[in-house]
Amino acid sequence: MSAVAVKKEVSTAKWTTEFEATATNRLGAANSSVKEIQEKAIQDFATRGIPDKKVEDYKYTNIRLYLNDEYALKGDVTKLKQSDVRHLFLGGHATVVILNGRFVKELSSLKNLPQEVTVGNLFTALKENKFVNSISSQGHSSQLTLLNTALAQDGLFINVPERYNCVGPIHLLYISSGRTKTLFNPRNIIKVGEGASLTIIESYHSVELSEKTFTNAVTEMIVENDATLNNYILQEEDKIASQSNVHQVSVGIAGKFNSVVVSLDGAMVRNDLNVSINGENAEIHMHGLFVVKDGQHIDNHSLVEHNVPNCFSNELYKGVIADGGTGVFNGKIFVKQDAQKTNAYQSNKNILLGDNASMNTKPQLEIYADDVKCSHGTTTGRLDETALFYLRTRGLNETLARKVLLGAFAKEVSDTVKDEAFRLHLEERIHDHIA
Amino acid sequence: MLEIKNLKVSVEGKEILKGLNLTVNKGEVHAIMGPNGAGKSTLASVIAGKEEYEVTGGSIHFNGKDISELSPDERAKEGMFLAFQYPIEIPGVTTINFLKTAVSEIRAYRGLEPMEAKDFLAMLKEKQKLVQIDTNLTGRSVNEGFSGGEKKRNEIFQMAMLEPKLGVLDETDSGLDIDALRIVADGVNKLRTKENAFLVITHYQRLLDHIVPDFVHVLYDGRIVKSGKKELALELEEKGYDWIKKEFPEMIA
Repeated sequence: MSAVAVKKEVSTAKWTTEFEATATNRLGAANSSVKEIQEKAIQDFATRGIPDKKVEDYKYTNIRLYLNDEYALKGDVTKLKQSDVRHLFLGGHATVVILNGRFVKELSSLKNLPQEVTVGNLFTALKENKFVNSISSQGHSSQLTLLNTALAQDGLFINVPERYNCVGPIHLLYISSGRTKTLFNPRNIIKVGEGASLTIIESYHSVELSEKTFTNAVTEMIVENDATLNNYILQEEDKIASQSNVHQVSVGIAGKFNSVVVSLDGAMVRNDLNVSINGENAEIHMHGLFVVKDGQHIDNHSLVEHNVPNCFSNELYKGVIADGGTGVFNGKIFVKQDAQKTNAYQSNKNILLGDNASMNTKPQLEIYADDVKCSHGTTTGRLDETALFYLRTRGLNETLARKVLLGAFAKEVSDTVKDEAFRLHLEERIHDHIA
Repeated sequence: MLEIKNLKVSVEGKEILKGLNLTVNKGEVHAIMGPNGAGKSTLASVIAGKEEYEVTGGSIHFNGKDISELSPDERAKEGMFLAFQYPIEIPGVTTINFLKTAVSEIRAYRGLEPMEAKDFLAMLKEKQKLVQIDTNLTGRSVNEGFSGGEKKRNEIFQMAMLEPKLGVLDETDSGLDIDALRIVADGVNKLRTKENAFLVITHYQRLLDHIVPDFVHVLYDGRIVKSGKKELALELEEKGYDWIKKEFPEMIA
């Protein structure tokens, strides 16, 4: 048998062609400013392309392995009914279903949504000239963000008005589904008005998925002065689905942003959490847990920019990596010269479960102010053998003892979720994924 | 109950136990004393089934069963308990939840029905009282931030909950002040019955003032070199371990 290794084509031409072909469907069709932004984005993308390992920010994650010219923007999708996705609803919250990157009202359940809170199509919002500025915020645009900006056809916008305390979370239920290789580019904007509060749960799943998909999501989050946003993310797509998930967060004076990202499944997961602190006395908490199994790749990138004085940020990411799995953590704290009295902490702790488990971790501090308290640290090791023995002398078999220890390791992250129902749900999902 | 014959154990190629013999019957308390490096903690770990220790010769029988192939958890399920010299901190796991799991695993092994929640709680209350441990400690993560005395008391509490046939206490007195020592010893004394047995491993005699042993053995250079009644402990205290060392000059501890 003569096998010729065919190198999969990864070109930018594919996406510039798609760009032309989708002109009437893209967000640009809703708004002329956005049209210009998209045109600029596709040009920039065309010069930079899909990142491979030569790009510093993707040194350990070669996106070209997961996204190539075989992918299309429009896929072959089974028509889903609400009963097909109902099992993924999380109780009585407002559930917003985003199927293959598009908000589908018929699948969603918005009857319990408070009338003060607006949840709608981004396309419609842009048509009404709302949020145009947010789309153009491309301060840290990676190649994938550019691709999203260029190709985005729709997404969500959520607005909580000033001083409104939205009790109970809004659940954004992302579903990948279909029978052909497809790329989705959902674009969302979530704004929490001055003095308001909101909890957003994002969960990522696959339903009736039989071919690879790539979700290239970008969510802009605006936390105004004195506002609070809790953002809880659970990633559990099928083993053939990949995602790049960018959150660009800006936080105003005395704003609070609490993020918990739990990644349990999927072929490749790349998260970029970029937080820009723009108002004094803001408080940021970022927690993450990733459980990586054989053949999977989970990469968490974060950037915290302290632009102003007197702010606090704390970050803790924990990883459990089994044989054949690869984890990546890259956390950067950037303290500008003016950002005196900054308190910024970062920690990454990982447990490797086998000799063929791999973890790449890179904490970075860049400090230009002189009166700050900052620290970072990272540890990577095995499960504590002495603790395992201790549990086993009490009658727990090895599997159970490992599960108890890993559960305890994970709990430090899940405990930071304030919504009790979701916290319990998370604990259960984590328990199922750690062996 | 416990029958150890000519036990030889190596760690990383170095022989620590060099042919140890010991028989413990039900209803008895045996003390193992010896200088540092004699192999006391190795003995405790080997009985409990720690895998880093290689048994190169001899046998351990527990209730007539050869346990050499049993894992640490199977030994626990057979009725053994090891109270650690340095109890492990396990952040994120409360003592109560941990014991709930342990009790249900042990019961399942013995073919017993799972315990009703209210029966478990009643047992918890009773044993807490017995060993004088604060409920605020058992509700917290296992040993996390506990003082030395609290950790040891938690070991005795776990032993009370798991009701072993044989309790092995590895230097339970180390790091305890006299009050903590008394509380821990009282706990053990309350757990003594005609049906169970204890192996108390200690460097010092003072614990044996409170937990009075039926037999005292001196472990030196991997072997039991002297056995006697409780008076042997007093003699050791008086003469010191140099007495043993002089008596067995060919051995190197």
